Amino acid sequence: MVERGPRGLSLRALNAAARGRGLSRGQSHADARAILPTLVSHPAEPEREAEALARLALWCERWSPTVAIDAAMPGLEGLFVDIGAGAHLFGGEEAMVAAMHRSLRRAAVPACLAVADSPGAAWALARFSERPRTSVPPGGTRDAIATLPIDALRVGGEIVALARRFGLRRIGDLYAMPRAGLARRFRGDKGLALVTRLDAALGIEPEALQPHRPLPRHRIARAFAEPRTDMAGITAELEALADALAARLEPDGVGARALTLAGFRSDGGVTTLTLRLGLATRTVSIWLRLFREKGLDRLDIGFGIDALALSADVVEPLAERQPLLDGEEEQTREDLAELVDRLTARLGETAVLASRPRASWLPERALRWGPAQTAPDPDPSALPPDPRPRPILLLDPPEPVTVLAAEVPDGAPPSFTWRRVTRRVARSEGPERLSPEWWRGSAARTRDYFRVEDEAGTRYWLFRDGLYGWEDQDGAKPPTWWMHGLFP
Amino acid sequence: MLQPSSATGSYPDPAPLLEEACAARIGDVGAALAFALARLGDFSTRVPMLVTPRRWLSEHGRPYPPAILKEAGLLLVVARNEADALWAMEQGLRSGAVAGVIGMIEQATLTQTRRLDFAAREGGCPAVLLRHREGGLSAARRRWRIAAMPAATQPLDNRAPGRWRVRADLLRRRDGPPGGWMLEQDDGTNRLRLADRLADYGLVADGRTHAAA
Repeated sequence: MVERGPRGLSLRALNAAARGRGLSRGQSHADARAILPTLVSHPAEPEREAEALARLALWCERWSPTVAIDAAMPGLEGLFVDIGAGAHLFGGEEAMVAAMHRSLRRAAVPACLAVADSPGAAWALARFSERPRTSVPPGGTRDAIATLPIDALRVGGEIVALARRFGLRRIGDLYAMPRAGLARRFRGDKGLALVTRLDAALGIEPEALQPHRPLPRHRIARAFAEPRTDMAGITAELEALADALAARLEPDGVGARALTLAGFRSDGGVTTLTLRLGLATRTVSIWLRLFREKGLDRLDIGFGIDALALSADVVEPLAERQPLLDGEEEQTREDLAELVDRLTARLGETAVLASRPRASWLPERALRWGPAQTAPDPDPSALPPDPRPRPILLLDPPEPVTVLAAEVPDGAPPSFTWRRVTRRVARSEGPERLSPEWWRGSAARTRDYFRVEDEAGTRYWLFRDGLYGWEDQDGAKPPTWWMHGLFP
Repeated sequence: MLQPSSATGSYPDPAPLLEEACAARIGDVGAALAFALARLGDFSTRVPMLVTPRRWLSEHGRPYPPAILKEAGLLLVVARNEADALWAMEQGLRSGAVAGVIGMIEQATLTQTRRLDFAAREGGCPAVLLRHREGGLSAARRRWRIAAMPAATQPLDNRAPGRWRVRADLLRRRDGPPGGWMLEQDDGTNRLRLADRLADYGLVADGRTHAAA
């Protein structure tokens, strides 16, 4: 991989074969071609690299919830996985690194791994150690990194060059230096940066990892010795995870509003299934039924899943809900929320709708249909229900109607044709005039609504778009007639 | 005009079982929907649920709750196909969490309607199937034909339509003889009520209503 720098093309990343022929990172492309004329190079694609790294970070969550992406040094990107508290679950640090290495290799990720007391030391060992996998026992960091070059301290090339000039090549060379003098030897804050990095690597100075996504507080993960390749196995594991998660939620007094089930595939992918609930709950049977109805087969398990994690992404206090005086009413509310959850899980959020009033006089705007699952947030500016007659079925959009000229210019038509059938108007009432909402900046015209009844007794809601002798001036279209709804 | 039209049995009260309402003509869909809502339970504590395939909405329009339900909301389920719609109806009925379920489902087999009837009785929840075509095998306990009728005269303007009126013919029932009734819009709730009952409370012979009614 080559990238364009201030001094022309230079090597950004290279494979083992190229390294074996004496090429190194940062070398200019022209030099590299001179050494190795058969070099195959491609322009680097940092965006795709970052994307791949983010995917890998997600996958690494199987080992620990704290996974940080390290992209501070271009070309030397990597991941930090905080295994501090969890290594014993995988049989100790040594065994864990071995397992990580194995599964990464299975997923065709040529990664170098290192475990050390501090992120800085692990960073150094992963990149500059000879072996693809290193595990430093606690307290052995100082000796382990002593022989590594100063580059391994995550300092810029300028500092490394300066240090070389002073004869400092290895990290171990710095141990003997008086620290105050070391910091002073470099101009400005460079010396300080070197000392800080050294302290960080040795674990004297703590270094915080920034997880690549917020840590879910309520998350249960489980890794399997053998990949699960069938739904029955996954369902059984899900039940165990759900029980554990519910137990985790209980002391906090919260219930889940959203759950995510993540399956970590053995080939390096992650497949997820997210569930939303209308009312917070930690009843395991409800979760499991919703997962079943949503369809566990939507999980793309590929050739098998070797770890599963269930997290409660959105939680809500359970006690906060106002108990109603009437216990039966509360029960109805819960039943309804459960029904809505089940319908939504199977049919989708856009299929289960509830209406909310909106501050508008226009009938098609006065009502907004939204997912019934999200808590209704009443629009404070919403108008009280319109006391005037409104149709029971509203056509959206309105359908065009052809009309014989009305006897009175502003009156209802004597007959009209809608959907190719002509109806004679027996009785009518109107107009009910609705002005356009000028503050919305649309080119809408005034509407005159008429409630008309045909000879058979069917009642329609017609409107005329535009006013005669007023809104049809200046080349505007003449007023048109529309069918907007049906009355009972 | 206000005489009960050839009513032989008594008007059946809404009950937790499956009924069918067919619009007599294409323009009577609104009347049939209003009638179906009137056949459901009390809306003060529970909301009605409507299940419809998406196709139905584009053909007949969207239900517009302000017209019929003054306070209560409406749970609208828009299903991709009739199989999903039947499933949603059954879930709603069994849960007992809604005041009743109306389904705009044209194709339902005898087995499917029987299943819905069971679900309605199990959940204690009335169910109405809204259809266009009469006939066909069905386990519905009552089968209605609904037609809009000329509205009542408005007391202040005799050229304007007043309260809605709907004619409901009970074509088939299992618990008594069939009959026909006239229903009228209730001023307080906007739902349909039996016009005969209202007559006791202030309807006079010429069909006009006293202001106090």
